[in-house]
Amino acid sequence: MENTGLAHHLLLAGLLFVLGLTGVLVRRNLLVVYMCLELMLAAATLALVAFSRFNRTMDGAVLVFFVITVAAAEVAVGLALIVALFRQRGTVRSDALTTLRD
Amino acid sequence: MPSDLTSLVHWILFLPLGAAAFSALFLRRAGGFAAWFSTAAAFGIAGLSLCVLAQGADVRWHVELAKFGGVSLGFGYLLDAQARLMLFVVSFVAAWIHLFSVGYMQEDAARGRFFAGLSVFMFSILGIVVADNLLMTFVFWELVGFSSYMLIAHHFDKDFAAAASKKAFITNRVGDLGFILGIALCLSLYGTLDFAALKDHPAAKAIPVAVGALLMCGFLGKSAQFPLHVWLTDAMAGPTPVSALIHAATMVAAGVYFMARVSFLLAPEVLQFIAVSGAGMAALAGLCALAQTDIKKSLAYSTLAHLGIMGCALGLGHPELALMHMAMHAFFKATLFLGAGSVIHGCHHEQDMLRMGGLLKKMPLTAATFVAATLSNCAVPFLAGWYSKDAILEAAWHGGHGALFAFLSLAALATCLYSGRMLRLVFLGEANSEEAERAHESPWTMTLPLVVLGLVYSVAGGFLASTLLPAGSLQPIKPALDALGFHLAAPSTVVGLLSLVLGFLGALKFYGSVRGADALRVVSPRTYHLLEHRWMDGLYRWYLDAVQRRVAELVAFLDLLLINGVAGRWVGGGVPAVLGYLTGRSFHRGQARAYALWIVIGSLFLAWFLIAR
Repeated sequence: MENTGLAHHLLLAGLLFVLGLTGVLVRRNLLVVYMCLELMLAAATLALVAFSRFNRTMDGAVLVFFVITVAAAEVAVGLALIVALFRQRGTVRSDALTTLRD
Repeated sequence: MPSDLTSLVHWILFLPLGAAAFSALFLRRAGGFAAWFSTAAAFGIAGLSLCVLAQGADVRWHVELAKFGGVSLGFGYLLDAQARLMLFVVSFVAAWIHLFSVGYMQEDAARGRFFAGLSVFMFSILGIVVADNLLMTFVFWELVGFSSYMLIAHHFDKDFAAAASKKAFITNRVGDLGFILGIALCLSLYGTLDFAALKDHPAAKAIPVAVGALLMCGFLGKSAQFPLHVWLTDAMAGPTPVSALIHAATMVAAGVYFMARVSFLLAPEVLQFIAVSGAGMAALAGLCALAQTDIKKSLAYSTLAHLGIMGCALGLGHPELALMHMAMHAFFKATLFLGAGSVIHGCHHEQDMLRMGGLLKKMPLTAATFVAATLSNCAVPFLAGWYSKDAILEAAWHGGHGALFAFLSLAALATCLYSGRMLRLVFLGEANSEEAERAHESPWTMTLPLVVLGLVYSVAGGFLASTLLPAGSLQPIKPALDALGFHLAAPSTVVGLLSLVLGFLGALKFYGSVRGADALRVVSPRTYHLLEHRWMDGLYRWYLDAVQRRVAELVAFLDLLLINGVAGRWVGGGVPAVLGYLTGRSFHRGQARAYALWIVIGSLFLAWFLIAR
């Protein structure tokens, strides 16, 4: 505990966030993109918990519970959408899904 | 033995939840078993709550679930005399209604779901009864709303049932919005939601009007009080046992119970409003019951009238009388509804009173109990309804509220009128349709509850309540009765007897004069229409169409103009178009990754702009 400060936590959160963002930008498989999105969300909640911990309040930690709950619901919906998409189009590669262009 | 009693309350509360879970998970296809299983659980609860009543000791138990700063949210029991009375009424009426349902739902394919729903309802209402804080009350309050919704929509493939369940749910949400705001206000003003702590709070001497007014909103919705009463008559789309249990005996009474529980939070202005609107609704709803041909709808208006009377008693500052009337009403109204269910069952699902008639001979047990409950409903002296209704009239007179007394007297007269009409149309005369011609008495599972609830409780209930029940269980009621002092020359007695003779006998004679049609409709169609028309529904429709829809359309137009048009088309479409024109390549290539990249670039730009500024 003595060696790690708020900055360390935030650095870790930032790294996770950039990792997720890179994945979202680079990867083509929607499932992987989706996992990377979740990683970005996890990074944000980590920062929230860190702030909460170092400000000696429980508010952020409580908020994270709600975020995780909502995220779980969102994952369920998102995965269902991806499955439905696969059934409809036979692929989950993002560069094959360009119908909106027109 | 307080710890022993606490575990008894645990059993009472969680037995129905277990039964509901078991039925819902494993007995969806075994309807017959689910019915008896759920009924056995209901009788178990009734037995346990009788034990609690007989012990006559208060139960206090609390466990903290979460603590935020100085605010503690918890789960606990507060069983005082009022709660024990309510526990007894709810569990006993419910047990017999469960038994009735076994017979009534015999041919229903979805019995497993139905009985699971009844058990969920039992869990929810018992939670309200034993709750020791506002938040727990609210949670169970919503659960009651949910189970009511589920049971009204039991025949969800019928449009009217689906619509009625939605109406009930949404109307209750309107009231509950006020309720939860009231809870928030309580929390911010007093820092606690615990009933006992609120009562002893030093600041509770001068309660702001807003607290009571907001908490009252929940009561208005759940107990179907004046502006939010519109859902109750539609809720009759549910199966008849549901109407008896939820929309007559217990759930709508839960609002009254809750108001009695937090009566120390109600400012005088709030009480005044409840009294006036209650008395007004009692008189009006009683008259409206005259213009309904559906037997269940007519009874629903009768319930509205009695809820109005209870509200009036609350507003007069006599919550104990309101609770007593709630208890008496629960027994005789449950009997009336079950009797109506038996009649409907016997007449092959005919609900139109004009097509019944002459059922006295064909369904003697049903008729006898229905008549007994009706007489109790009309407050015939020394029957259950008389004790409470007379006391409330008396309280209005003693309090010097002439107008309230007049309204309540009108309600009493209307009660006798529609009761006489109902008896005349359904049981006397001759059969007016083939269904009534072929009517048959119902099986024992349906008649036994009628006999017990009707004869034992609605007739002897008042006597039992005032004399036989163990001391302490009805403590809040007895002193009130003694203080008012019954005497035969009291104005309430005079009004009661006069309306009984005039109304009841008059209705019997008047409605006997025309056969196969409603006498009032024949004599004075305009009066009939005036009473039949649903004015509040019209008002709400006008509000939705003329006000809310207009506002929504305006907002939608602004959204289309500003967000979709200016921001989306011009800015969001214009910038890429210009860039595309300048660079010679299209930015709309449908690649999600490219869009994501632009979002990232835009966010970085925005962040830089905000930080560097």
